[in-house]
Amino acid sequence: MYGVGGGGGGFNAPYTASARRRNHEDDEEEEEEEESGEGRVLEAWERAYADDRSWEALQEDESGLLRPIDTKTLVHAQYRRRLLLRSAASAAARIQKGLIRYLYIVIDLSRAASEMDYRPSRMAVVAKYAEVFIREFFDQNPLSHVGIVTMKDGISHRLTEIGGSPESQIKALMGKLECSGESSLQNALELVHGYLDQVPSYGHKEVLFLYSALNTCDPGDIMETIAKCKKSKIRCSVIGLAAEIFICKYLCEETGGSYTVALDESHFKELLLEHAPPPPAIAEYAAANLIKMGFPQRGAEDLISICSCHKKIKSGAEGYICPRCKVNVCELPTECRTCGLTLVSSPHLARSYHHLFPVQPFDEVSSVHPNRLGQKGGQKCYGCQQSFINPDSQSSLHVRCPKCNQHFCLDCDIYIHESLHNCPGCESQRSSS
Amino acid sequence: MEKTLAELRLLFAHLPAAASRSLLALGLSSRKNLCVHPQASAAAARDSVDTACRRLTASWVRDRAASDPDSTPLCDFFESFDRAAAAGDLASYMPPGVYTLADLRALGRDRGICPYFLARQMVKYANVVVYSYQYLIDPKVASIVSREMQKECVVVFDEAHNIDNVCIEALSVSIRKQTLEGAERNLRRISQEIDRFKATDANRLRAEYNRLVDGLAQRGNLPISDAWLANPALPEDILKEAVPGNIRRAEHFLAVLRRLVRFLDGRLETENVENEMPVAFVASIHSQAGIDQKMLRFCYDRLHSLMLTLEITDTDEFMHIQTICDFATLIGTYTRGFSIIIEPYDERMPDIRDPVIQLSCHDASLAIQPVFERFQTVVITSGTLSPIDLYPRLLNFNPVISRSFTMSLTRDCICPMVLTRGSDQLPVSTKFDMRSDPGVVRNYGRLLLEMASAVPDGIVCFFVSYSYMDGIVNSWNEMGILQDIMQHKLVFIETPDVVETTLALDNYRKACDCGRGAIFFSVARGKVAEGIDFDRHYGRLVIMFGVPFQYTLSRILLARLEYLRETFQIKEGDFLTFDALRQAAQCVGRVIRSKADYGMMIFADKRYSRHDKRSKLPGWILSHLHDAHLNLSTDMALHIAREFLRRMAQPYDKTGSGGNKTLLTEEDLQNMAQDAMEM
Repeated sequence: MYGVGGGGGGFNAPYTASARRRNHEDDEEEEEEEESGEGRVLEAWERAYADDRSWEALQEDESGLLRPIDTKTLVHAQYRRRLLLRSAASAAARIQKGLIRYLYIVIDLSRAASEMDYRPSRMAVVAKYAEVFIREFFDQNPLSHVGIVTMKDGISHRLTEIGGSPESQIKALMGKLECSGESSLQNALELVHGYLDQVPSYGHKEVLFLYSALNTCDPGDIMETIAKCKKSKIRCSVIGLAAEIFICKYLCEETGGSYTVALDESHFKELLLEHAPPPPAIAEYAAANLIKMGFPQRGAEDLISICSCHKKIKSGAEGYICPRCKVNVCELPTECRTCGLTLVSSPHLARSYHHLFPVQPFDEVSSVHPNRLGQKGGQKCYGCQQSFINPDSQSSLHVRCPKCNQHFCLDCDIYIHESLHNCPGCESQRSSS
Repeated sequence: MEKTLAELRLLFAHLPAAASRSLLALGLSSRKNLCVHPQASAAAARDSVDTACRRLTASWVRDRAASDPDSTPLCDFFESFDRAAAAGDLASYMPPGVYTLADLRALGRDRGICPYFLARQMVKYANVVVYSYQYLIDPKVASIVSREMQKECVVVFDEAHNIDNVCIEALSVSIRKQTLEGAERNLRRISQEIDRFKATDANRLRAEYNRLVDGLAQRGNLPISDAWLANPALPEDILKEAVPGNIRRAEHFLAVLRRLVRFLDGRLETENVENEMPVAFVASIHSQAGIDQKMLRFCYDRLHSLMLTLEITDTDEFMHIQTICDFATLIGTYTRGFSIIIEPYDERMPDIRDPVIQLSCHDASLAIQPVFERFQTVVITSGTLSPIDLYPRLLNFNPVISRSFTMSLTRDCICPMVLTRGSDQLPVSTKFDMRSDPGVVRNYGRLLLEMASAVPDGIVCFFVSYSYMDGIVNSWNEMGILQDIMQHKLVFIETPDVVETTLALDNYRKACDCGRGAIFFSVARGKVAEGIDFDRHYGRLVIMFGVPFQYTLSRILLARLEYLRETFQIKEGDFLTFDALRQAAQCVGRVIRSKADYGMMIFADKRYSRHDKRSKLPGWILSHLHDAHLNLSTDMALHIAREFLRRMAQPYDKTGSGGNKTLLTEEDLQNMAQDAMEM
């Protein structure tokens, strides 16, 4: 996103420089903003050609003139679409969601992953955003587990065991980045199927393929493997980096996953992060049952014990004590090594809660004539108290909560839905009444 | 055909129940495709199925069976058909609905009735009949099958871009050495039969003679199972008079045929290529073999009568003499629009002697004319009729309405490109002087390799001819390009052998299905280019290597070009380009079959960027061919392909939004109707 926005600004600069004298007044504001804005940005001609696609931030208007794309509204429009899509899916209010997920991320490290159409290479981009994704995933699904599988040379290999800590996963992934040979969808599916079959029944089994290649070199009949995965209720999703492949589409349709293809780097990130919030649980998959969980306490300061995960001596303050067998574990959530109890902390549960009761999407309001409201400055965002009227007097789009009728600016809209998960307007009403 | 009927069934489902309940639609095909008799249908070739059927169903066989039921086998399916036809309740066997060939076969098996004859008979009552062009255009078949069609019928020629070629083929005959040898054999057999009949049943021959003296047309009152291929000449050109006296007796007729065969044999001995008009040819037959034009004209009818008299059922054996008689009747009947070309060897293989006499028709309008005259409404339609104004000239008619429709697409789901240069910026072409240049071959190979690495699932490649395909694939193999391609996708090749090609196609589809990816090498004007769809993932990209011009040194083509220039004032170059471009359009059109589908088309030849070539492509391709995609090199094409594939992989709104709405609601339709009313 930075590259796109920066490119737009960079292009503007030479234009304003040459036209400065002619329409001095009009441009004054803009110029000031640029020169005073966030230090010195490199001019378009100063930047390297290869890693900055400044032309992508331009579009032609009706008369053939080049215009920088208004990235802010564009980004917001994209976000709105996503939000509406998501809320439409869960329109029936109380949709059951799979909060306890067992996800394998399968990363394609075949020859195709070394292609350079993403900079610097597909593989690097995939790794970079896989890291972002894993962090985001654990942020949104504290009760879930992730493992990583790589495909190369026609075989697949489990990089990390399925586990609940982002750090170890990321570390393992970054150390293993080299690509060669073919990729085999079937081998990966077989491998993952073998591991996911042992997962307890309340867990939601998922596989996410980050697929660079355009074909799959399989040892046998992949249709059988797909049928097997369908039978074990493994939800397979694929994000392709190049083009739509029939077999991937078929796999996703059969197993109830989603199949998307990335247009570019930012789109790839967007698609990947769409997999972070828990998917709605499919009725037949979700058998309602009670799960026994332990809420371990942080050990006392003076207690020294051997942790069960690393077999190292630790002081109690660094770990948690399993309430059933009193063994020391380093991090949550996890499964107790000794007694097999699922160990979580209450904040984890609370953080998963908002998926079940999401904030309603806000309605879009565009005040066409802000000046008619009388006073200058007009309305203010309820969240950040900033005026809706843009300094460059472009469209002053904003949103309104349908419940409390408070208005919010676009940034706050995103913040409320993506991070806060509570509407400040509604919350303050409740507290005051 | 099956596809059309399947679509028709979908359409019927949308009709109100009352309307669809009274409609009957069926497909009609040869016995080969419809026979359900366990032994007869086992035969491999079409002719042998026909023969096997005749052996079981010919009227004299059934007569004999009536007297001697044990030794003569009959077809139970036909017998029950015959009983039903006699009782007049055929319709009860076939309630209204849509019948594909498979449905007909299933029906025949279930009810124990012959599907072929049932379909033939039900054609009279059906509302929609789907069959191949030949049944209407080829006079040999049309006068039997389509005789019952009424003037008010609407005739639709679908996929009619090649209709002129079908018309020409219907009236062309070629005779080779084998044909003449076979004809000699046939004649010997016929003379034996005559001798046998003379000894046992001389009355039959005398009865035939008397009938011929009376000038009775022997067809018209024949039982359906005896109907054989009819006269090769067009109906109104057949003389309605008595057979000339000197061929009325069977022996005399045989002698005439023998002389004719010997004459043709003598002409085949030639060392040079000869090109003659029918008039001169008939004159030389007259002077050398003593057969005049009138006798030639009656050859066909006389032979047919003789075969019936001799009760010959194995008609496939007699194809050779049949061909000779077709030839004789055609040259006896027509003086214009034909020419006779005798070639001692194939141009392309001058070492192998393979003499052939070709009677080739140059005028497509001859065969189609009776159709225009007989039916009130004739519609000619295809996705690749372009330029559309050339067809009326070729077929010699005045179109009442001639309209070219654009495609309404929800998104830009086709991406045609003209690639003129390789990645080294050298031009690529299959022009004769360039095609064997290793640089061009390598550039084509690199193009395919790059595309194979960027396009998922299936790629189809079309080459200009089998020999060119063999050559270039060989060179790619030597250069190692083929091995590189095989790393990305499997390679399948079309061959002239149908079975082999079908197998290759099956495996190609399998490879596309399971995600391995595949490339199919095929030939423009081949079977695959005409009839096989590569929709959805079976064809994401089609590459047309070169411009598929006809083999321009072929005598037949030269003669036809000359005729077209003299008669219809169509320039040679125009016709050749038109013909090549319609083939190219036909090839690339295989890749997209619906709005939800998407595909790319690459025209890889520098000649496509010239305006005279490009402008002859059909409108729906041209409208998507942007100027920016006209003069590409391999790397540019690769970039465009990648972008296009990514864009197409995004989910899209089926109803369309904004200007390009493609799915109309009922409301839209009402609005449109209102607008039309106001206008």
